[in-house]
Amino acid sequence: IMLKGMTRLVSRVHKAKHGEQHVGQHYNISIQELKTVFPHGLPPRFVMQVKTFNEACLMVRKPALELLHYLKNTNFAHPAVRYVLYGEKGTGKTLSLCHIIHFCAKQDWLILHIPDAHLWVKNCRDLLQSTYNKQRFDQPLEASIWLKNFKTANERFLSQIKVQDKYVWNKRESTEKGSPLAEVVEQGIMRVRNATDAVGIVLKELKRQSSLGVFRLLVAVDGVNALWGRTTLKREDKSPITPEELALIYNLRKMVKNDWQGGAIVLTVSQTGSLFKPRKAYLPQELLGKEGFDTLDPFIPILVSNYNPKEFEGCIQYYLENNWLQHEKAHTEEGKKELLFLSNRNPGLLERLCAYL
Amino acid sequence: MAAPSLPAWLALQTRARTLRAFSAAVSPVTGAQRLSPPTTERTSKHERAPRRKALPPRTEKMSVDQDWPSVYPVAAPFKPSAVPLPVRMGYPVKRGVPMAKEGNLELLKIPNFLHLTPVAIKKHCEALKDFCTEWPAALDSDEKCEKHFPIEIDTADYISSGPSIRNPKARVVTLRVKLSSLNLDDHAKKKLIKLVGDRYCKSTDVLTIKTDRCPLKRQNYDYAMYLLTVLYHESWKTEEWEKKKTEADMEEYVWKDSASEKNILETLFQIKAAEKNTELSKEELLSTKEVEDYKNSVVSLKNEGDNENTISQYKESVKRLLHLM
Repeated sequence: IMLKGMTRLVSRVHKAKHGEQHVGQHYNISIQELKTVFPHGLPPRFVMQVKTFNEACLMVRKPALELLHYLKNTNFAHPAVRYVLYGEKGTGKTLSLCHIIHFCAKQDWLILHIPDAHLWVKNCRDLLQSTYNKQRFDQPLEASIWLKNFKTANERFLSQIKVQDKYVWNKRESTEKGSPLAEVVEQGIMRVRNATDAVGIVLKELKRQSSLGVFRLLVAVDGVNALWGRTTLKREDKSPITPEELALIYNLRKMVKNDWQGGAIVLTVSQTGSLFKPRKAYLPQELLGKEGFDTLDPFIPILVSNYNPKEFEGCIQYYLENNWLQHEKAHTEEGKKELLFLSNRNPGLLERLCAYL
Repeated sequence: MAAPSLPAWLALQTRARTLRAFSAAVSPVTGAQRLSPPTTERTSKHERAPRRKALPPRTEKMSVDQDWPSVYPVAAPFKPSAVPLPVRMGYPVKRGVPMAKEGNLELLKIPNFLHLTPVAIKKHCEALKDFCTEWPAALDSDEKCEKHFPIEIDTADYISSGPSIRNPKARVVTLRVKLSSLNLDDHAKKKLIKLVGDRYCKSTDVLTIKTDRCPLKRQNYDYAMYLLTVLYHESWKTEEWEKKKTEADMEEYVWKDSASEKNILETLFQIKAAEKNTELSKEELLSTKEVEDYKNSVVSLKNEGDNENTISQYKESVKRLLHLM
């Protein structure tokens, strides 16, 4: 693939070489990689853009670079460090997270990616009483969908990792100690009733074994503030359910604690999709609440802000090169100034505006 | 009885005539009435005094340096002919301007303070000076007033012309005091604030007690002073059940024994264990500079909320703690 225009940097091979001077430039991810690394988790508008342009290009930006720097210097003997990406709506938190995930996938980490934790606390149709613990509730649909995507993303690891306990599913089926993790995942996908428990087991095993240093684990959760907020789910007697009564949320909470070694935890807090939070809220304490903050403390907060002028230029150039901006005034200085004024350099807004041009 | 009846009849005639003329002028209702007025109208027009032309408004005769308090000595409705200002009020129609002051109901509806111009108030003050005593010379600044007289009492007296001089609104007494002038220690201050609730304003540090439950002003004043005394003494006492104060009751964030402290200690212990460091005492860890910084940043984050400053401080301290530079 030839280099398109001066502002592009096609570096499919050495993502590790992204540095300060590359801020504002785009790098390419091939479509096949996209299918394996991101079976879920890309924002829907970005997926549409990928389909239109027939290529996936992410912009290199400062918050992601900062995080990459920390990740490169992690000490895997220390407990996992938590990084929280926060920022106003549309500034690029999810895409920065995807950048990190892609980097780690290239470096051969095991990616545990929950695309949107808010999806697990609202609009769930069937809630079953958990077989493992009578107090909690299972969400078979969500769990099975997630397991399918997890399998696609981490195919090669599933056969290597062996479970260290015997798990009995029901009278006839059980998973023996020492069998590969792929069996647990298969069981969850086949028997939807046990999907939530399968997810719980996967999380537990991964946590335990990454501390042994077999592999490196990246836990990436988008919208982590859903874990400590409220849910819109109700029991049959219309009494509300708190998040910890959902087995998925309960296990995920255990995952984002820093009592394991051998990896990193990257989280985003977002208001889009959150329940009962005001629209303007974007600061970590506002969205996480007291409980969330106390659980995640100590963490490193990383602000994701609007584009700086260089990044804004880069974005406009990218759209122009792909012939996305059809308006005749789009490439003039006044056109750019107008776009700057209308979008205030907010990436999400800019993308929506350019869609009309 | 012709003599007395004649003038009586004449009086009746004139009265009827004026009545009929009046009714003819105002509302010609029936034909019968219309028939009779022509005869009476002609006669009454000649006999009646000619109608005066409207005089120019008083404003045209006003000089610029006139004595305004004599135009409006008391609160009076707005008289457009007596106020020389070209005031306009009202919502304009399309491509129009607000209505002028002549015949403007809006200007009549609102309260006006034309009787309280600075000149008028100066005159009132001059008149009242004879009834006042001198301001004490020693109290020439606000701080001295506050120091010697920390408690401020607000009362209102009402005068009106009517059958009774009593006004039930006059019994309200408001007591204002700054808590910094009361001798309270930390626990007492927090307890007092919790006891009074809404009556304390945090930004100005003023406790306001408004009483009106007694029928007399004197009684309300005594009650307010009693309340202040009781609050003061009660807040100094510590009850048995106050020891059960939980984290949810705390007014501000306290670092000691908090979840944050536990987390950071656990993390540090694990780091040390990984590095096979054996200086694992809790006090030593807590006294290192990085932990101090971290503690301050968390306290400011919780108490002041999120802003750029606190978040960046927190970030730096965490980075230093976890050796992530």
